[in-house]
Order: sequence, then structure tokens, then C-alpha cells
Amino acid sequence: MVSINRRRFIHGASAIAAGAMSYQPRRAAAQSAGEVIAMLNGGDYAKACMEAYVRPFEAETGIKVTPITDEFSMAKFELEVSNNNVSVDVVPIGPGLTLQASRKGYLEEIDYSIYKRDELDAMLDFAKSPHSVGSIVYALCMVYNIEKFPANKPRPATWAEFWDVVKYPGVRTLPTGEYGEYGPWEEALLADGLPADALYPLDIDRAFASLDKIKPHIRKWFATGSEIQQMLHDKVVDLAESYDGRAVALIDQGAQVEINRNQQKMTWESWAIPKDSPNPENAQRFIEFITRADRQAAFVQLMPYGPTNRNAFKLLPEAVARKFASHPDYSASTITMDSKWYSEVGSDGKTNNDKIIQRWNEWILQ
Amino acid sequence: MKTLREFGRMPIALTGPALAVLLVVFGIPIVQLFLTSFNAPAFSTGNYKAFFGQPANVRVLFQTIEISVVATAICLLIGYPTAYLIVAASKRLRMALIVLVLVPYLTSGLVVTYAWIVILGDGGLINNLLVDHGLISSPLPLIYNRMAVYIGMVHIMLPMMILPLVSAMMGIDKSLMAAARSMGARPATAFWRVFFPLSMPGVRSGCLLVFVVCLGFYIAPAALGGLGDAMLSTFIASQVRSSFDMGRVAASAFVLLAVAIVVLSMVGLDLSGTSRRTAQPSLKSWHRLGEFFISYRAKRWIAQLYRAGGDGRWPQLVGIMFLALVMFYLLFPEVLVVIMSFSAGKYLQFPPSGFSLQWYESFFGDPSWYAAAWMSIQIGFMVVILSTIIGTLAAFGLNRALPRLRSFLTMAMLTPITFPVIVVGIATYLGLLKLGLLGSMTGIVLAHTIGAIGYVLVIVSASLANFDPQLEQAAMSMRAGPLQTFMRVTLPLIRPGIIGGAVFAFLHSFDEVVITSLVGGISMRTLPLKMWEDIRHQIDPTIAAVATLFILLPLVVLMILFVAGWRSTLGLQRARPVPAA
Repeated sequence: MVSINRRRFIHGASAIAAGAMSYQPRRAAAQSAGEVIAMLNGGDYAKACMEAYVRPFEAETGIKVTPITDEFSMAKFELEVSNNNVSVDVVPIGPGLTLQASRKGYLEEIDYSIYKRDELDAMLDFAKSPHSVGSIVYALCMVYNIEKFPANKPRPATWAEFWDVVKYPGVRTLPTGEYGEYGPWEEALLADGLPADALYPLDIDRAFASLDKIKPHIRKWFATGSEIQQMLHDKVVDLAESYDGRAVALIDQGAQVEINRNQQKMTWESWAIPKDSPNPENAQRFIEFITRADRQAAFVQLMPYGPTNRNAFKLLPEAVARKFASHPDYSASTITMDSKWYSEVGSDGKTNNDKIIQRWNEWILQ
Repeated sequence: MKTLREFGRMPIALTGPALAVLLVVFGIPIVQLFLTSFNAPAFSTGNYKAFFGQPANVRVLFQTIEISVVATAICLLIGYPTAYLIVAASKRLRMALIVLVLVPYLTSGLVVTYAWIVILGDGGLINNLLVDHGLISSPLPLIYNRMAVYIGMVHIMLPMMILPLVSAMMGIDKSLMAAARSMGARPATAFWRVFFPLSMPGVRSGCLLVFVVCLGFYIAPAALGGLGDAMLSTFIASQVRSSFDMGRVAASAFVLLAVAIVVLSMVGLDLSGTSRRTAQPSLKSWHRLGEFFISYRAKRWIAQLYRAGGDGRWPQLVGIMFLALVMFYLLFPEVLVVIMSFSAGKYLQFPPSGFSLQWYESFFGDPSWYAAAWMSIQIGFMVVILSTIIGTLAAFGLNRALPRLRSFLTMAMLTPITFPVIVVGIATYLGLLKLGLLGSMTGIVLAHTIGAIGYVLVIVSASLANFDPQLEQAAMSMRAGPLQTFMRVTLPLIRPGIIGGAVFAFLHSFDEVVITSLVGGISMRTLPLKMWEDIRHQIDPTIAAVATLFILLPLVVLMILFVAGWRSTLGLQRARPVPAA
């Protein structure tokens, strides 16, 4: 333990020293237009990043941003890092993978010394980790078709009611469990009557027993955001668990769906810097810039995900702010996903995530 | 004397470049992968025990075989009569039909799968039609089940069944049937005793190709299937994605490969089609097997089809209708995608809400799209140059090699296109890792080249088989040097084959998604990768616009082939390994 701590300290100290020393050269680099290679996810997400983050950053610093419009893949990333062939400076990464990657020493430490005090104070606690800075907050939540479930008729409010196919008939969809972490395990346990504060460590047997009950009523176990968005748009399903961002986008376009924030499962995504990236300093600056309140406020108006910087809410009209999972009003009814549990390694060398995937693969064939 | 000696030594040397590339990028890595799967140098069967220790893996393995067998059987049942009717058609019509069969074969599998989602989906074309006409009140479950998987897979594989069949049937001497009839055989008997056995080489290579490619399927089952319709490739791909444990992944890959090899050797290993004689011994057993799984009804039906050529209008009509139906099945998804790409709506829907070119604008206005397209084109051309040179040289070398050596080496060089694609991908990944070329353009070019060489080899070999070596001797006797002979005599004669090979090499590269996604690293984005990414994240019809460009490409390609003088050969020589016609 001692040695680890010492190493951490040395790391931290050298990072700060490097940050301090590089202040001058950084300005010089700004004038001679350095570069930062940033992975920005795909599709509309990347487009919003270009608008809210990349162009203003280039205008302010003169540093050229080379975008990669793809989502993060741990396997590819691992490969590049282990071959000392890292081709990217900034990556978008989920909390589970952040834990995995930082445990293996694949991530650069975040230099929080370049952040402004008030920005840092406004950031949600989980967003400020040693190796990553939170970018967005989102949730998996219940969504229903309001033609099928109009306001004057009973609507399912909890996952227990979602499971109640007699009282609330309708075609349903849930996310697939093939990736482990983002599967409907918490929902299954809540439906089975487990209180929200007793979810972790997850009782896998109980979760699958609960899923057995809902399995015949699920039209499709969706794997991607585009699938659930298209299904809700086409009215293929009446009752769904969906990424809130996809549902908000649909509502904004006038689709007949509504979000139920009760028992929403919240998680987040972060920005991180791979070890030995080509332009680590520019990467630090880029992340600091794009997690400022004004940038996040600009971003979330283009892409309906919640900001991690609470000050961003001050810059947003209330009607817009209410679209986001991190709105203060929802916090009491929110479950925060415990990525730490998923990445815990058991005595057999497998993570809980691996175990749950294996179990899922058996379960789907039954 | 000296030239003769050179000539004697040349053949094997000519295969050198091809073998070198194949060995470094694919051959050696696959051996290493095999050793890794046994935890070499400690040697244990731990990885295999772990694989078979998980009941889910075993069930998925059997399911993979089951799905592949059924898909192959359906392809044969539809493909055989179709091929028969194509061969029976007039020359012009036959040409047109072959082109129509080729179009879906050359279209990206990604695009086609995607079109089926639009057709079969709950809010898709068929359900919308039925609901709008009040025939049903709620959508029929046409998608997310095994049936949808078969519809999608058969659609992709059917051309691969029809084309070898057509090729084999074209080579059957019609007078043999007439002879049988003249000796009193009834049409059915003549068909069954004469025509069918003679078409067996086509049946065999068609089934083989379809089955082996089916084993490696993973996009169609994932997109069209239900919860339980997983195939082994899906499992392997997700193993690669989640935690790259080389030993575990290698073991799963070799289990899949073992299935493919068992089937290949059961049916006869001669994929090259270079010698007919070697194919004969295994024919008998295969014949029995063939009879076994072609149902009685199909037999009777094919027999009736034969009669179509004889008397009676009604059977002829049935034949035409059947052919029309198959063509509709093959081409409708493509047409649908083209129409959707001009949609004015924000979502994928059919019929589209209006006409607009916005999705083409969105393609040409978005750097992530056109940059990906540009990268794919660059890679494609490099692959064409490399594989055409190497592959043509190898074809020459093999053409002049001893028959046994020839069929062995041809088999070996075709492994990158006959092995399940996921296995090839993982081996290539390992090979490029050793070379330090992962995530680089050179790496992707090499990864595509190993497959492209196979296509060039097969097509050029086919045109060399028809090439009369006496022409070269004649030129030499008139004091032309070897180089001059090659440039002035050989090259012009086999040019259609070389151009054909180059075109298929390009398409192979331009369309490749599975291997590229493994070896492409983080920053290399080819067009198919971008499409696959977009299908998962976006729902706007830009993807349909891209798909349309993908559909138009093969049409352009076919025109190139036509101009290049394939007019006469297109029906006879096929891109895929088929028995010599």
C-alpha cells in the first residue's frame, strides 16, 4: 500500500511540476498551433461536440483539434497502449472502463491545477476522478407511449409495475445484457421488491429469476441507442426502458412518448487521456475547456444529455434543464449505477461484469 | 536450353510473393494462434476445456451449425431450379439474369441486412401495408426471430449458390439428355439419372461455399435475430470486444475452424476446381448425401421444371413465375434502399414522406463520411495494385506447376476467403501486431490483400485454363523473347481475367468490415466501418444514401467488366472458386 501511495504521490507531483513548467511553452504552442486528437463518439454526439467544443476551443487557443468520430473501444485502446502506439489524446469513456483502464495504468492523471476554482466546485463529485473528468450525465429510464398510456389512465410508475403485464398490457423492450454493465439487472431487482438502497452487491440469481418473468413479454432486447429510438418512433413498443437522451430527442420532435423519471438509473461518461498520448498537454487543456459551465450548457442544448458541471444549469432555461437526468428535482428518485461493483474482480479472476455476461449468454438460450 | 531451364524453375518462384505475404500476415499467425490456444509452450487444453465447460458455448456451436445447414439447404432448394431456368433461357436473357444475380452478390451485406430491417420490421413495409389495408390490427412478428435470420442470410448467400450451379450446368452437354430421351427415358428419369449427377460439382461447390461463409456470419443474425439466435461469431466478436484474452479467443476461433475443415474435407478439399478427376471419387458419397437432404417434393418439382423445356405452356409459366419471384426477392431490398435514400423525412420509413436530396448532401457535406470514403478508395486501389500483381504471378506459377502441388497451393492461398472471416480477422490481427502495423493504412491494405489475392488467383487461373500454351510456343519460335511473348501474346489474351480479378479485389477491400474493425485500430475509419458505426448510432437516412452509392458501384463494376471483354466469359468463369466449366 505504501509503495502504491508513494508512486501515486510521485506521479501527482511530477504532473503538477510538468504543468507548472510547461506554462510558457504552452502559450508558445498556442501561437504555433499545436494539435490535439480527440475521440468524440459518433453521429449527432460528435456533431454537437464540433459545435460546442471543438470550434470554440480552436478559436480561443489556436490548437487544431483532429476529431475521430467513433466510440471508445477498450480492446483497441488496450492494444494501442500496450504497443506504445497511442494515436489519440482524448477519449470518451464510461465509469466501468475508466476503473479498468486506470487500474492497469493506461490513463494519464488529470491535472486539476489548471481548472478554475468555481468550475471545479460546481462539478458533481463523481465527475472529478483522478484519471477522468465527467462529460455528461444520463440515465436509463422508463418511457411510455402516451396514446397507449394517456394521462387519465393508470400508468406504470415503478419497475414493479413495468413487470405487471396484466395491469399494464403492452409491448415492451429492455436493454440487452450482453455487455453486462448496462443490462436491466437493477430494474429486475427493483421489480422483485428490493429497496433501492439495498441493490449492491447485486444478487445475480434473483435478478435472473425476476427477468424470467418478463422475458416472454419483451419484443426485443435492444443493443443500441438507434434501435430504441427507431422502435419508439415507429410505435413498435408501448413501454420501454430507454436512454433518456434518445427519448428527449423524440419528444422534441413531437413523438407521442413521455419519460418517467422515477427509479431512473443514472450513470455518466467522462473524458480521459491515454498514457503516452501524442499531445498530453493540449489534451489537458482541451478537457478543462470543454468541461466549463458555458461549454457544457452549449453542448447539452444540442445534445440532450445532462451536464456534469452544475453551473451549467444556471445558464439554461428551466424548461431545458428539466430534460436532463442530473436536474436536482430528480435526484431523490434516482439510482446511481455502481460501476465499481461491476469491475470488482472475484477470487476466480473474473470481474462481476464477466460473470454476468456469461450468465446472460446461458440465459438467452433457455 | 537456358530458357527451358528457367522455364522449369520459374513456376514455383512466381508464387513466392503471394506465399510470402500470406505467410507473414496470415499463415504464421494462425499457427501461433493455434499454439496459443493450447497455452504453448506449456501445452494444456485449458482453453478448450473452458470453452466446452460453458454450456452456452456448446449450444451456440450447435446452433451455428444448425443455422448454417438450414440456410445452405434453403439456398440449394431455391438456387438449383433458378440456375436450371437461367441455363435454359435464351442467351441474351441468360446474360441479363446472371447480371441481376450478380448485383446483390456484389452489394454490401451490411446494406442488405439493413434493408431487411426496413422491410420486416414491426413498423416496416410489410406490416404497414397489412395494417393500412386493415388485414391485421397489430404488426406480425416478422423480425427478431429465426425466420428473419434465414431470410437475410439466404438473400446474401443465394448468388453464391446460383453462380457455381449455372457454371456447372452450362458445361453439361445437352445432347446427353436428348440421347437419354431417345432411348426412352422419361423426362424425370433423364433429368435425375443424367443431368443431376452431371451438375453435382456445381451443387458441391455451391453448398460448400455457402455453408462455410454461413458459419462465419455475424451481422445478419445480430440485427435480424431474436434473443436466442446467437451464432459463434457473435460470441467471438464480443470476447474480442470485452477483454482480449488471446488464448480464450483462439480456442473459440479454432472450434469454429474445425467445423469448417471437417465439412471441407468431408465434401472433398478441391476448391480450386483445377482438376475434375480428383472431384470424381468423392462424388458418389456426396450424391447419396445430396439425395438425403433434398426432399422428395423438391425432386418432383425439379423434374417438372425440366418438362418445362418440353411441351405444355403451363409448366413454362410456373418456371417464369418462379424465376421472377427469386429475382424479386434478390433485388427488392436494393431497390427499396435506393428509394429511401431520397426520402424527405428524418427517419427511415417506407414509403418516404417526400423527395429530397438532403441525405446525399449530408454525405458529401460531412467530413467524417467523405474522409472515410476517401480512405476506403485509397486502400482499395493499393489492394488492387498489390493483389493483382502478386495474384497474377501466383496464377502463372500454379498454372505451370504439377497438378498435385497446384491444388495444394491453391487451397492454401484460398484459405483467407474460405476460412470463417472472424478467424481470418483474429489471425491477421496477430500478424499485424507482430509487424507493428495495427491501426495503420499499410496494415489494412495487407489485411485486405490476403483475401484479394484469392480472388485474383481464381479468376486469372480460370482464364489461364482456357489459354492455349501453343500460342506462346509459336511466338517464341518466331524469336520473341519471354518478356515480349508475355507482353504481346499472353497478357492481351488473359487481360479480361486480370481486370476481373482486379475488380473483385477492389470490391473485396471496399466492402470489408469484420477484419478491418479488428485491425483498424482507433483512428483508421473506412467507409464500411463508418456505416456499421452509424447503423448503431444514427437513424437518419444518410445511411441509405451511402448504401445507394454502394449498390451503384457494382453496376459500374459490371459495366467495366462488360467493356473489358467479359461478355463471353461472364457466364462461364466465376469469381468464386468453381469447378472448371
